[in-house]
Amino acid sequence: MAQSAEHVLDHFELFRGPEYQQMLAKKKAFENPRDPAEVERVKEWTKTLEYREKNFAREALTINPAKACQPLGAVFASVGFEGTLPFVHGSQGCVAYYRSHLSRHFKEPSSCVSSSMTEDAAVFGGLNNMVDGLANSYNMYKPKMIAVSTTCMAEVIGDDLNAFIKTSKEKGAVPADFDVPFAHTPAFVGSHITGYDNALKGILEHFWDGKAGTAPKLERKPNDKVNFIGGFDGYTVGNLREIKRILELMGVEYTILADNSEVFDTPTDGEFRMYDGGTTLDEAANAVHAKGTISMQQWSTEKTLPFIADHGQDVLAFNYPMGVSATDDFLMALSLLSGKGIPEELARERGRLVDAMTDSSAHIHGKKFAIYGDPDLCYGLAAFLLELGAEPIHVLSTNGNKAWEEKTKALLAGSTFGQDCNVYPGRDLWHMRSLLFTEPVDYLIGNTYGKYLERDTGTPLIRIGFPVFDRHHHHRSPVWGYQGGMNVLVKILDKIFDEIDKKTSLLGKTDYSFDIIR
Amino acid sequence: MSSLRATVRNIFNEPGCAKNGSKPESERKKGCTKQLQPGGAAGGCAFDGAKIALQPFTDVAHLVHGPIACEGNSWDSRSAASSGSNLWRTAFTTDMNETDIVFGGEKRLYKAIKQIIDKYDPPAIFVYQTCVPAMIGDDIDAVCKAAAGKFGKPVIPVNSPGFVGSKNLGSKLAGEALLEHVIGTQEPDDTTAYDINLIGEYNLSGELWQIKPLFEELGIRILSCISGDGKYREVASSHRARAAMMVCSKSLINVARKMEERYEIPFFEGSFYGIQDSSDSLREIARLLVGRGAPDHLIERTESVIAREEARAWTAIEPYKARFNGKKVLLITGGVKSWSVVAALQEAGLELVGTSVKKSTKEDKDRIKQLMGQDAHMIEDMPPREMYRILKDAKADIMLSGGKSQFVALKTATPWLDINQERCHAYMGYVGMVKLVEEIDKSLSNPMWEQLRRPTPWNALARAMVKVRSQAIASISDEAIGETARRAKKICVCNTVDLGTIEDATCSHGLTSVEAVRQHTNEAGGCCSRRIENILRSPPAMFQAAE
Repeated sequence: MAQSAEHVLDHFELFRGPEYQQMLAKKKAFENPRDPAEVERVKEWTKTLEYREKNFAREALTINPAKACQPLGAVFASVGFEGTLPFVHGSQGCVAYYRSHLSRHFKEPSSCVSSSMTEDAAVFGGLNNMVDGLANSYNMYKPKMIAVSTTCMAEVIGDDLNAFIKTSKEKGAVPADFDVPFAHTPAFVGSHITGYDNALKGILEHFWDGKAGTAPKLERKPNDKVNFIGGFDGYTVGNLREIKRILELMGVEYTILADNSEVFDTPTDGEFRMYDGGTTLDEAANAVHAKGTISMQQWSTEKTLPFIADHGQDVLAFNYPMGVSATDDFLMALSLLSGKGIPEELARERGRLVDAMTDSSAHIHGKKFAIYGDPDLCYGLAAFLLELGAEPIHVLSTNGNKAWEEKTKALLAGSTFGQDCNVYPGRDLWHMRSLLFTEPVDYLIGNTYGKYLERDTGTPLIRIGFPVFDRHHHHRSPVWGYQGGMNVLVKILDKIFDEIDKKTSLLGKTDYSFDIIR
Repeated sequence: MSSLRATVRNIFNEPGCAKNGSKPESERKKGCTKQLQPGGAAGGCAFDGAKIALQPFTDVAHLVHGPIACEGNSWDSRSAASSGSNLWRTAFTTDMNETDIVFGGEKRLYKAIKQIIDKYDPPAIFVYQTCVPAMIGDDIDAVCKAAAGKFGKPVIPVNSPGFVGSKNLGSKLAGEALLEHVIGTQEPDDTTAYDINLIGEYNLSGELWQIKPLFEELGIRILSCISGDGKYREVASSHRARAAMMVCSKSLINVARKMEERYEIPFFEGSFYGIQDSSDSLREIARLLVGRGAPDHLIERTESVIAREEARAWTAIEPYKARFNGKKVLLITGGVKSWSVVAALQEAGLELVGTSVKKSTKEDKDRIKQLMGQDAHMIEDMPPREMYRILKDAKADIMLSGGKSQFVALKTATPWLDINQERCHAYMGYVGMVKLVEEIDKSLSNPMWEQLRRPTPWNALARAMVKVRSQAIASISDEAIGETARRAKKICVCNTVDLGTIEDATCSHGLTSVEAVRQHTNEAGGCCSRRIENILRSPPAMFQAAE
């Protein structure tokens, strides 16, 4: 059953043909496989409590981590500024990863360059690569700003970005007054949310604190504006657009810092936009004058927010607010900070979300959930689930820290629905696998990689997180605001109903409950 | 049409129906239910009632003769569980078009019947008459008779076009069709002294199955259930049963009574909603069977099953009693459920603030009085506005009703539980009662309700702010709400000091400067001074917006 031109088979069909099956069987025989019974025995053993204990005693090895590295976050933040080319000082292979990672999630091209350090650069330092790299990318891609971050390679040898950029400018790689903010973003510290934080802080520092000693520091003249920071967020396209709508409804004057909602969602109309939208460089500089800054993700802005507060602004951090109460808090804070009222339109949206929750609560109430992802996302999701009467059982964040653990525990302790929940900072998806086998739940919430857990443990996966590679376009719909809460609710409900249908579809066996109305 | 009119009149004379029997001759002609008021919202039509009553026969092809409206809107809308055939869920309709209406739809109907037999060969076809063919004069009785003769297969006309009246009347007309064309047309393979019929039980969400194991344990055989999880052959041979239980008090009373008249099958009216009712029903079935020749020990065996099941259910419900203490229920439903559910809820320790009796018979009402006392709050016909008022005044913590009233409850932020046909859970029998109690508990404890009953936080905060400034503490009606909102609002980024604390300090110590507030509240950070200044200065704009 080889390919025929009349009926070309996709790979998942083609290899089911007898000739390929035979080939695969031969390969297996050639490998002299282990006794299948023994394989089965070990497989079953990995599902036990005994194995779980050994698994949790693991120290050195991380298996299936639910996090990415700093520079990925730095690139994500950098492209949120007008005409900005992210320039990663280090090896080019890393940069190819960030680009493909972002492209696969957003289904958009992702433009980013590297200084392509090789072995000699690693021995003698990357200065030449920096000088040439800045000159080449400035001339080839005509950016308005180049935001520099680093890979591990440059960090291990200790390249001094500040000095390198200064030298590059002296050597004429880029004009002396050209904006080249920078951030050190080694992957061996923190995760992509740390990189986001560092890059954003680096850019603000550049504009506010005298452009690396080449210009006077800005003097803050407070105005009525509010700065908004989304943090590292797979739903940035939908979320930032929703936030803009809310801010405009309320009549708040605002600056969104690192607004990458356009560059990750460019229209297909015959024009390639290497850069699109973004916070303008003027806005970035003038953001220093704002009344205050709101961050939607505490652990994505751990350094940026105190930096902004030190410049005299009020700052406020949320933990990925989702659902009614969290959105209430967010809007209240916005209202207090800006002095603007909350319009009727938003009150109506609130009412609609509450209405939808009441219509469907019976199906979510008491269902058990496991959640993993970035710390703020986990916190926000857990809070929304508690509000829905669902019971989070495992909340796991590979890049969550001690403070996150404590804050999340406090959240769970405050609800009768959070009493049976454990919080796992610094754990990975292989730990989650043990948890799902030994303390099963009804549903799992996580990113695309959760599909292996879904297959292994039979726990249905609701895809909320980053990256989501195997489902398209969900990043276009918000999960913030009351309307975003509605989207999350529908996502969860869709899975619940799909599962009920799946479990009741067996003809003549279980289909007595295969109902039209749910 | 004249025969239909006669049938309808006959139904209105139903002696089994106490309510009708007590009416004067002139009123009886007007029919069972109140005449529909043009311009008002009303329930389903006679066609719908007929289809509801018969569709749970699972191996029958249900063919709706009419334009797409009738089957298009009712296809598979009830979750009556089937243990075998899926045919009942398949939508068959003649889907009449304009030409059929001009030239008549009889030929189309005949062809449709033939095609069903060709493709599916079911044991029988039920043909439902609807308004349009009835108005243009399609004679479905004649078509069915011809088709039955030609194809040698039962083709049963169900003459219940929507315009003849209410849903309830339609169910009875469906019963008439069974009596006239189906019941007694076949003989069972064998009979036992333990054969019973269940009449008016539809196995919604598999409710019947929650009871059936008890019957089987006692050796009682359900010869025919009309119509839940029923087969054509079973209903056709149902005339050989020894006793019958009338499950839904009004919809098929004519079937139970006429079967008693024709085949001497004694029946009683019972319910499996609630622990006491389930026990009573089992007892009554045993009594009737023994009266018809079953061995005496059936009664003893039944008592022991009852004792065991009751003990089990009570144990399962016990933990809820404390949780339900002081919780009030408003029950809006029809017919039999009004009293049988009352008993069930009381068993779980809930207090009933009212129950609707719109579709209940005089007997139903008497039973309610027995259960709830003479001054029971029986609601004859509750318009949504009144329902809204009762719920809004928080006279009830939860409302139990059908889907139609759901939205009234939800708009008043009152927990609600569906106990009519579109529900997802089965509440019958001892097992079902525990399920109902569990569902009520889940509804009452859902965290969303608390959220829903609170004003939007910005309104709550605005009110709390009034309180601080005017010092008119007594004028704030809902202190706790304002307090929660105030305590919830963090002022400092380090999240240690909330608005309430700062306001209280400002108010009680007469503080006027940021420094003073800091001293009193331990508010330590450097970033919050502006916010504290704002609180000290003037009410924020959102307060005005909320006015």
